[in-house]
Amino acid sequence: MSNAPVLTSRRFELADGMAVQEHYHSRGWTDGLPIVPPTGDAVTAGLEWAGLPPDHLVGIEPVLQRAITAEKVAINAVMAGCLPAHFPVVVTAVTAMLAEPFLLQGATASTGGCGVLLIVNGPVRLELGMDGTFSALGASDRATTCIGRAVRLVLGNLLEVRPGGIDRATLGHPGKISYCVAEDEEHTPWPSVAEERLGDPHVSAVTAMAALAPRQLMNEWTTEPEEILDTFVAEIKANMTHYSIWPGNYAVVVPPQLRQHFDAAGWSKADIRHYVFERARIHRRDWATCGKGAVVGRKGDDEYAALPDPDHLLVVAAGGPAGGFGAVIPPWLGHRSRAVTMPIGACVDC
Amino acid sequence: MSLQVLDPTYDEDATILALADRPSTLADLTVGIVSNGKHGTQPFFAALDKVLREDHGVAAVVHVTKSNYSAPADAEVMDHAQQWHALIAGVGD
Repeated sequence: MSNAPVLTSRRFELADGMAVQEHYHSRGWTDGLPIVPPTGDAVTAGLEWAGLPPDHLVGIEPVLQRAITAEKVAINAVMAGCLPAHFPVVVTAVTAMLAEPFLLQGATASTGGCGVLLIVNGPVRLELGMDGTFSALGASDRATTCIGRAVRLVLGNLLEVRPGGIDRATLGHPGKISYCVAEDEEHTPWPSVAEERLGDPHVSAVTAMAALAPRQLMNEWTTEPEEILDTFVAEIKANMTHYSIWPGNYAVVVPPQLRQHFDAAGWSKADIRHYVFERARIHRRDWATCGKGAVVGRKGDDEYAALPDPDHLLVVAAGGPAGGFGAVIPPWLGHRSRAVTMPIGACVDC
Repeated sequence: MSLQVLDPTYDEDATILALADRPSTLADLTVGIVSNGKHGTQPFFAALDKVLREDHGVAAVVHVTKSNYSAPADAEVMDHAQQWHALIAGVGD
């Protein structure tokens, strides 16, 4: 007699792998890319790796009042291409997204069109082969891509966040397919995002942030930390005028070529956060410089900060070894959604 | 060889929401309108208010605006809604 957990999801008997693809595509259950057939064995393997029963409550989405179980998350993770060892990261990411401060329904329904950025920290990155160096923000490796994709399939299949359904995004962005980055903790003296937010240097964790597409920048003509950050600040201010003036969580991704200058000058992540907090500010009248003069009104001299406080800036060490590039990842519409960091293995209902 | 695969979607049977009873008429009833607070809702709900009163005989239309247009309505709004016969939750942009 098998001791395998009992899966309660409806089952389909289909002729072959191609029939599975058509069955799932035709019902709107994919993102348009091929999926891995979610067989009972594959789903059970993920659940067993994470040590979770199928009916484990991952969280409840408060607007639709839907209880999200580990079995359903595992099915979608298998479809996304995840291996069993990836599943604990996916479960943690979904748990973080279901936490109240993340405001999942608002973020994923908005015409503003954000994706869910996942920042993965801790030993789990190395165990899964997650690479935070070359092409860190896109298609860097199997685990990173599949974990990010799993989150999107969960949103679509369990919470109806499909384009034209609950997802009302006007444009969206390519990160909505998969938006995941592993921080390059091996090539920096800085504490990781998770360590700074959870206070534990050894923790494996996922940070979820409702995020727009990365805005890439370049400054390889200085070694001064202030000048490098002025380029990041200019990009943040451009987002504030072009997209949204409201403050919230921003992420900045800093690759090694720029990090070496901060290291040489003894700059910490906290130093970066404070510098950006003080300078990433615009006046409402600045809207007039990009065609938005109609909404300046009589508040032209009002000042707006990108960050409610320095801690709202997530400083991420990631990127390939060469190139004086960087990226600013803006929030979805200010502070309505807050980045949530969740340790892997934490249980919210036990 | 055939494959047995699993349904990735939410099991609707587990939904814990239930639809409220629908009134057969709006005449002489109190109807609440909960706006998400965006500018576009103002002229729309003003026009809807007129239609409800003049065409459907609604006795009173109560207008409430959410404190956060991206979040569920505040508990006070939901408590207030208990006094209405019907509620229109509007999403505007």
